[in-house]
Amino acid sequence: MDYFQKLTKQVATFLGITQFVATALAIAGVLIAAYVYSLPLYIVALIGLAISSAVAYLSGRLASTYVTEPVLFLWKAILHVSPSSHGASAPDLDKSRVGKELVTSLALQVYQLASSETPTPQSARHTAAAEHNRTDAIMQNFPLPVFVMDKKQNIVYANTAALHYIDQPKQDVINHNMYSVLDLSFPSDHTFDAWLTDSRDNKATASESWERVRLMLGDQKTKKQFDMAAYYNKDNPENAETIITFFDKTVRYNKDDDAVSFIALAVHELRTPLTVLRGYIEVFEEELEGKLDPELEGFMHKMQSSAQQLTAFVSNILNVARVEENQLFLQLHEENWEKILRSILNDMALRAQVHDKTIEFSIQPDLPTVALDRVSIYEVVGNLIDNAIKYSDKSSQIIVKSYLRDDGMVETTVQDFGIGVPSSIIGNLFEKFYRNHRSRAQVGGTGLGLYLSKAIVNAHGGQIWVQSKEGEGSTFGFTLAPYAQLADELKTTDNKDIRRTAHGWIKNHSFYQR
Amino acid sequence: MQDTTQSDPNQQASTTPITGGEPRYKNILVIEDEHFIGELYMRALTKAGYNVKIIIDGPSGLKEAQTNAYDIILLDLMIPNMTGMELLKKLRDPNSTPNLKSKIIITTNLEQADEAKDEIEKQADGYIVKAEVTPKQLVRFLQSLER
Repeated sequence: MDYFQKLTKQVATFLGITQFVATALAIAGVLIAAYVYSLPLYIVALIGLAISSAVAYLSGRLASTYVTEPVLFLWKAILHVSPSSHGASAPDLDKSRVGKELVTSLALQVYQLASSETPTPQSARHTAAAEHNRTDAIMQNFPLPVFVMDKKQNIVYANTAALHYIDQPKQDVINHNMYSVLDLSFPSDHTFDAWLTDSRDNKATASESWERVRLMLGDQKTKKQFDMAAYYNKDNPENAETIITFFDKTVRYNKDDDAVSFIALAVHELRTPLTVLRGYIEVFEEELEGKLDPELEGFMHKMQSSAQQLTAFVSNILNVARVEENQLFLQLHEENWEKILRSILNDMALRAQVHDKTIEFSIQPDLPTVALDRVSIYEVVGNLIDNAIKYSDKSSQIIVKSYLRDDGMVETTVQDFGIGVPSSIIGNLFEKFYRNHRSRAQVGGTGLGLYLSKAIVNAHGGQIWVQSKEGEGSTFGFTLAPYAQLADELKTTDNKDIRRTAHGWIKNHSFYQR
Repeated sequence: MQDTTQSDPNQQASTTPITGGEPRYKNILVIEDEHFIGELYMRALTKAGYNVKIIIDGPSGLKEAQTNAYDIILLDLMIPNMTGMELLKKLRDPNSTPNLKSKIIITTNLEQADEAKDEIEKQADGYIVKAEVTPKQLVRFLQSLER
């Protein structure tokens, strides 16, 4: 304020002086005209008027320049920092004559405001536009695919890398729903959509990443595999609710898949001669039953059971490879467990018999129907009985029981009275390639059976367990959920079957809901 | 927990009589290029009262299937000159095969990746891994289709 008073005084002094000079000049002119040249009075009046007009004009010009000088300096200062007039030079504040202190102070404040983070509205718009251009340029050249979705999950932005990656023209992507553009599958039920639903309910912002995501391209043949990261922002002003990016791993993950296909092919080559062997042995059995002496008949049964066992083992290999690659895929149907268990035990009886074991079983009547994948459960029971046969040693009895537990689960146990498992290693039994070390010399096997059985039982939503005492035998048990218990899971799908999530590829769900 | 039954290992062979009773689905086409397996299926199915024809390659198998003279088609997925999958699609496409009455059972030893298996399950009436079933068990499976 002091500076302003000083400016007022300066202006007042200047105006006073010019006023005084103008008045003095006019009086002097009139006096000279009247007394020196004795001109008539009206001429004198005219001369006085002319002089005062001229002086008033000059002093007006002078005064206006002088008084408006601070405005000029401030104007220059503002122009200098304004982004809309590039190249305006800064005023030389040292040359300021009027209100120098005030002008200098105000100009510095202008400079400060311009460089601070809150720009004036006009420059704000300009800065935002420049920023947008810059971001767009960066995103377009960004070497990873980037998609941005709005709240309706329509794609509002996709960079060049993204369009290139999914091999789609821009018009087929922008403003299309992401589920119609991106056919994504995830290795577990923690899908992008599940995460997004959760984030919408509970978070303002969130980020997440996934491994081994699959994308099926429009031709339905090309499959891309990648890791994926996503960012969620509830109230993004730019309408960018979610941003996702892919880290391509197609080559690496496909190699893993090829490993499985190689095994699938090898399994095929092993199975074909096995099919033939089992077929012809069956013919022999049918034609020679009762005609052979007991020893030869025993040999035939051993051949038969060995071929059957080898078949089961070959399937084990394939399924272990699938478990490893997260590709074991179960289809759970409603089944009568007693009927299925009886038929499995029936098949296993021959295997037990050729090893001089007998299987006794008791199945509680009226068990509820269970949800299971028939082929996989066959492998579980088969593996447990094969183990019981292997580790029975000299005892011949194997007992299978199935009953309803108090918690509503259907439990099935396989008990032998053989060598048992030392307590030191019992915790490792369900690990891959783990075998009872002491017995390795006497008993064959790969150590895959229990590992696979655990994976299969868990995928069914059940548990597998073991109780054992060295020298007294072991009991292995597993549980299956009643079909009714999974009814809720069924309601969410149109399918009558339940596709198990634990080891399969799960489609991004909304794709089906829309 | 009730009756503890001693299982009879010979039960397997004796429980289900293979012959006896005329099968309703009588005519069977087997598309299978492995001769030994073809021979075994032919023997077991004929014994059980079926009329069996075996074709060993894709295109002629398709042609034969399209005559619509069969109640059941057993289709291997690995056959010469055409994949079983292609053949299956042609049989399910009303433009190339109108009104096919046959039930199609996939018999294979090659287990597919998930997507392919899904596709098969949608289009076929059954799926059997050949090594897992003996010819007699196959007969029983086909008899179960009549129920």
